[in-house]
Amino acid sequence: MPELRTEEFIVNMGPHHPSTHGVCRLVLTMDGEKIIKIEPVIGYLHRAIEKICENRTYQQCIPILDRFEYVTAMSCNYVFSLAAERLGQVEVPQRAEYLRVIMLELNRIASHLIFYGVTAMDIGAYTPFLYGLRERELIMDLFEMTCGQRLTYNYIRIGGVSRDIPPEFVPKCREALKIISERMSDYEGLLNENPIWLVRTKGIAILPAELAVAYGVSGPVLRASGVQYDLRRNDPYSIYERFDFDIPVRYHGDCYDRYLLRLDEIRQSMRIVSQALDSLPEGEIKNKKVKANFKPPAGEVYARIENTRGELGVYLISDGSAKPLRVKTRGGSYNQLQVLPHYGTNMLIADLVANFATLDIIMPEVDR
Amino acid sequence: MIKKLLKDIKALAQGLQIAGKHLGKHAVTIQYPEERWTMPERSRGMVVLLSDKETGELNCTACILCEKACPTGAIRIEAPQDEKKKRHLKAFVVDYGLCCFCGLCEEACNFSAIKLATKYEFSTLSKEDLVWNVQKLQEMGRDVDYVDVRKKKPVPGAAKAPAAGKAVAGVQSGEASDTVSEPLKSPVTANESSPAGPDAETASEEGQS
Amino acid sequence: MNDHLLAVLELHGLFQWLYDKLLTVGLPESWTTVVAYGSLSVIVFGVLALVALYLIWWERKIAGHIQQRFGPMRHGWHGWYQTIMDAIKLLQKEDIRIATRDRVVFFWAPVICFVAAFLAYVVMPFGDRLIVADLNIGILYILAVTTFTVISLIMAGWGSNNKYALLGGMRSAAQMVSYEVPMVASVLTVIVFVGSLSMVDIVKSQSGLIFNWYIFRVPFGPIAFLTYIVAATAEVNRTPFDIPEAEQELVAGYNVEYSGMKFAMFFLAEFVNMFTVAAIAVTLFFGGWNGWQLVPSWIWFLGKTMLVILLLMLFRWTYPRLRVDQLMEFSWKFLVPVTFANLILAGVFKQLHWYW
Repeated sequence: MPELRTEEFIVNMGPHHPSTHGVCRLVLTMDGEKIIKIEPVIGYLHRAIEKICENRTYQQCIPILDRFEYVTAMSCNYVFSLAAERLGQVEVPQRAEYLRVIMLELNRIASHLIFYGVTAMDIGAYTPFLYGLRERELIMDLFEMTCGQRLTYNYIRIGGVSRDIPPEFVPKCREALKIISERMSDYEGLLNENPIWLVRTKGIAILPAELAVAYGVSGPVLRASGVQYDLRRNDPYSIYERFDFDIPVRYHGDCYDRYLLRLDEIRQSMRIVSQALDSLPEGEIKNKKVKANFKPPAGEVYARIENTRGELGVYLISDGSAKPLRVKTRGGSYNQLQVLPHYGTNMLIADLVANFATLDIIMPEVDR
Repeated sequence: MIKKLLKDIKALAQGLQIAGKHLGKHAVTIQYPEERWTMPERSRGMVVLLSDKETGELNCTACILCEKACPTGAIRIEAPQDEKKKRHLKAFVVDYGLCCFCGLCEEACNFSAIKLATKYEFSTLSKEDLVWNVQKLQEMGRDVDYVDVRKKKPVPGAAKAPAAGKAVAGVQSGEASDTVSEPLKSPVTANESSPAGPDAETASEEGQS
Repeated sequence: MNDHLLAVLELHGLFQWLYDKLLTVGLPESWTTVVAYGSLSVIVFGVLALVALYLIWWERKIAGHIQQRFGPMRHGWHGWYQTIMDAIKLLQKEDIRIATRDRVVFFWAPVICFVAAFLAYVVMPFGDRLIVADLNIGILYILAVTTFTVISLIMAGWGSNNKYALLGGMRSAAQMVSYEVPMVASVLTVIVFVGSLSMVDIVKSQSGLIFNWYIFRVPFGPIAFLTYIVAATAEVNRTPFDIPEAEQELVAGYNVEYSGMKFAMFFLAEFVNMFTVAAIAVTLFFGGWNGWQLVPSWIWFLGKTMLVILLLMLFRWTYPRLRVDQLMEFSWKFLVPVTFANLILAGVFKQLHWYW
């Protein structure tokens, strides 16, 4: 009997596909349902943010960079401000530092809540998505109350923050934290022990630590592979050394660990926020020396922070004028997408979806 | 094996219980056109031009600070200078297709003339309708409450229009209001006395193009 | 008089009256039968189409409330005629047919799917004496005709000439074939106790006390019900077994290229199938139309079916989706052994009369 002739076929997953989180295109070479090769094709969301920034003053760069990584726009605000402050030797008032930490960590919680929902949705459970977004709304309300926007904040500025928090912020924030920590048990009850969830994520798409380090993967994905590397500890910025929090690490590097690690991080972020709320000092919120036409001296600087998707960095070159000469951004998603073809093959298309979801890639950060 | 099976069934039942628990709860969403969310007072929505509460005239002095502050070039002002280098507002256009609602124009303004109000509905059927002229912007701003930072300054020599430098001094004295968090002293004076700084000029031009 | 009223409330009296009227018209006897059955099938079809539309609304409301949303709210009280409007919209929509399709297969796939979904209702006992035809192989007939759906899904996957659709079609074939086995085995567990394949006999054997329902025939009944409901969920392609249309993996699976009314036919058929499996579950395990006498039997049947459907909907909105190979593994390595062991034990116990 002659052997059946089989051949590989190519599936274009994306740019318009429900589970590629934006306009990522993955060219999959498949053998039946098994993936043999992945080729990420990027650039569908390229908006030339870096070039746009070169034509804006330093203050104007911040709302543009809000769109760089819109799920955690606070981090984008912050990392650019940090770079500009380091260039211009700007002191930041204490209260502003605390407010920044509160906002950054709240934004981290919000981002991880989205991650929780989206990952569950990609693996087929619809309801957790709505639950995740429901609690995220509480945080969005806090942001809107403070800076007026829910997604693109333009809040953290060079030398401080744009506005002081309203008086009702602190009680509302505590209440939101309480609600979220109560509802964490619902999240875990829905998925953590669910046998379907376990077989879909446990032991699936293991990212070895060496490979992750070799490709510059950072953030929760790296920590889920067993590397304890968090810029809040390893390259401290702002006032993170004043707070008592743990860096969660998990060692299997599979989808389940990446998922659990983010839930752990939500808890740690809540710890940081409540500590910061307790010790929030009074005082100035912005360095008055920073003007609209902020002109740092000529030089170059690289500032990096720990974002929810890994290291978020801005490399800034100034020629002494009111506009940056060069703004180079670095987002964690890019590295995570680049490492995907090297360990994401030899599995089924459903595993790729789970894997892609737990990497938590968002495309604006990749394409910029 | 049996133990694991029972554990799995328990976990599955727990999921069902959590989902069922929510069945009876009230929805957290609202029925939008009938019910409306009260926006927080700082909410950055529609850009409007504010008018004086008493005279009903625009607060805008055509200093084009907001145009310079705008990172996307959504604000376009036509304000030719007369022989005394005083600007007269001829056209003020906000293109909502470009606006990114960052609020920098509001922060740049020293005369409480422009504000991001809490209004948020401006869907239209054509792109051209998103470009609002001064009349529409003023009309939308009529019922917007604001802290008038100009009034805090005792105006010396009332016959003259308030010079920019003094207005800034007024803002700094009225520090309490947090609607203007950066005083923006130097660009104002630069703007009024001499042609604006080359950087700011090019920024706005490139934004427009 | 009272008996008449009861009979009318039970609907079979109504149908009897209508049939008697038809006899007085003076048609030949064969023609009378044709007209009677023809109008009966139109009635069943209409009722089921309405039930399917209503189920879609019901599903959306359940989903909404689980997720703390409202669900449809615009058309009527809590959007009760939303899906009717949706159906009208789908009727008006352009029927987009891609140029590279396989014309015949692409056209017939939704038709077969739709027809197969309704065929099962020929032997469905909606209530006391409310059955179109009481075949003596009733349940076997249902299991046979519902399998047509597989063919239609493969046809849709093939005819669309789309890789996602093809994957979806292949998945549905594999899935339905493997879940047919445990489903039949769990159905047979009940048949062993009944000793008849006729749907009416199955229901009648459960009359009387509530403990006559087969769900209470411990331990075979509950095990058979659980395995049946799992296999049935897979049979109608619902989460956690909805891999043929897995939105996040295959976009929409087999129906990715369908639009307009053809899509609506797939969609309606899915809900009719869901009603079918729930109705079978009620017939087999929950005593069918048996219930408290004061309420008409068809209301009992519909009510019980809605409760089973509620369970299916809770499954859908709670659980993640299994992977295709895990699905097969679950069927062949777990469900099939369990159901067959259950079936054999049930047979042995029945033979020894060790049950109550």
